[in-house]
Amino acid sequence: MSDSALVKIRFQLNGSPVETDVVPTMTLLELLRRTFLLTAAKEGCGKGECGACTVLVNGEPVNSCLRLAASLRPEDRVETLEGLEKDPLMAIVQQSYVDAGAVQCGFCIPGMVISSYSLLKRVPQPTEHQIKEALSGNICRCTGYRKIIAAVRQAGNTAGNGAKGGRP
Amino acid sequence: MNSILNNIIFHRPADVPAACALLASLPNAAILAGGTDLVVKLRNGVLPAVTDLIDVCALRLGTIAVEGGKLRIGSGCTMEQIRNNPLVAARFPALVSAVGQVGALQIRHAATIGGNVGNASPAGDSIPALMSLEASVVLAGPKGSRTVPLADFFTGPGRTVMLKGELIEAFELPDRSTKGCFLKMGERLAHAISKVSLALTTWDAGAGKRSVRIALGAVAPKVIRALAAEKLLEAEAWPPKKEILERAVQAVCEAATPIDDVRSTKGYRKKIAGVLLERAVRSLPDAL
Repeated sequence: MSDSALVKIRFQLNGSPVETDVVPTMTLLELLRRTFLLTAAKEGCGKGECGACTVLVNGEPVNSCLRLAASLRPEDRVETLEGLEKDPLMAIVQQSYVDAGAVQCGFCIPGMVISSYSLLKRVPQPTEHQIKEALSGNICRCTGYRKIIAAVRQAGNTAGNGAKGGRP
Repeated sequence: MNSILNNIIFHRPADVPAACALLASLPNAAILAGGTDLVVKLRNGVLPAVTDLIDVCALRLGTIAVEGGKLRIGSGCTMEQIRNNPLVAARFPALVSAVGQVGALQIRHAATIGGNVGNASPAGDSIPALMSLEASVVLAGPKGSRTVPLADFFTGPGRTVMLKGELIEAFELPDRSTKGCFLKMGERLAHAISKVSLALTTWDAGAGKRSVRIALGAVAPKVIRALAAEKLLEAEAWPPKKEILERAVQAVCEAATPIDDVRSTKGYRKKIAGVLLERAVRSLPDAL
């Protein structure tokens, strides 16, 4: 492969501008894991069905295994779980997963919590149907969905109570 | 992760004419929009001939606007963008319903309507809805743009009337107030390729009647209209009486000419096409 095939890209990664060269078919997931060593997002199926690779692009959840890194633009904002480490809502989501016992093998969980976080940003008190729909692109092979749904509901309640200035 | 195909060249044209010029000059180029279909195929090695990727994401094809009696939907609009757009929501419930049933949320935030139609799958979920809404396809090409009715756009599975150098720029839908829905039968609610799908759109035709459009997916080499069923439902006052609806259901089953394949069987698809029509009619807000 000649260097001329490389594509120079610039984008915002977890709040900071970054610049790198990629081969045309490198996925965003490969870029995050190999170049930036951000390994929360994982490859499960590699075809956009399992959601283990979910990250936020411009605030919306997408499968990073299907996004070609070369298509990123300077204005694109990519957020991974690592970038949400200090986000108060993400902290609540993660604690709710722990409290509900929603984590089994853990492989799907980075994607699950990103999708959960994204839902709660849009819909602070989601119904069970809304939770199921928001998580329908995230597959847990241990099949522990009940506790995951309970965790999201709990996170919504906790965050809602916090916003009202105290616990009930 | 073994996806690296080192010999592919990535192009980022600055505007539509530049993209068309590239498409015209490169014999084995593929258009990259949302990537949800193309990237899977590239990674699985089913597109060994592709030498060039033409990224159309920066061409500003992601707008939705009312222009001259039509709602124009840019080909680069994502499924979620269309689903959440107030102009679409106020006019075309069948389209809102269809784009909301594609893949799952992560797919819908990336997948574009231009890609879903351009792939020309008989099971593409946005196609029956667009067909029921009498959409046209605006194609940009080296010699300028042309508009093709969606009903004339497909020539077979994966095949369209698009010429070398052309790309889908937008879809134009007659601006009218409609009622409708899109129903599909798949293995599960999310991430299921349709075994059978049906879009129903109706609009006021005066004297208590409604104009009716019914389009069926995955029951023929391309998405088809169920014209006989439409005529039956248009002939009498809306909502249809039981026996009229039964005849329309029968007509839909007869219009379907499905095949047996990995996803379903011919007999099941034929039967379910009719079931979907009955459910669709009953689901409309003005149903009895």
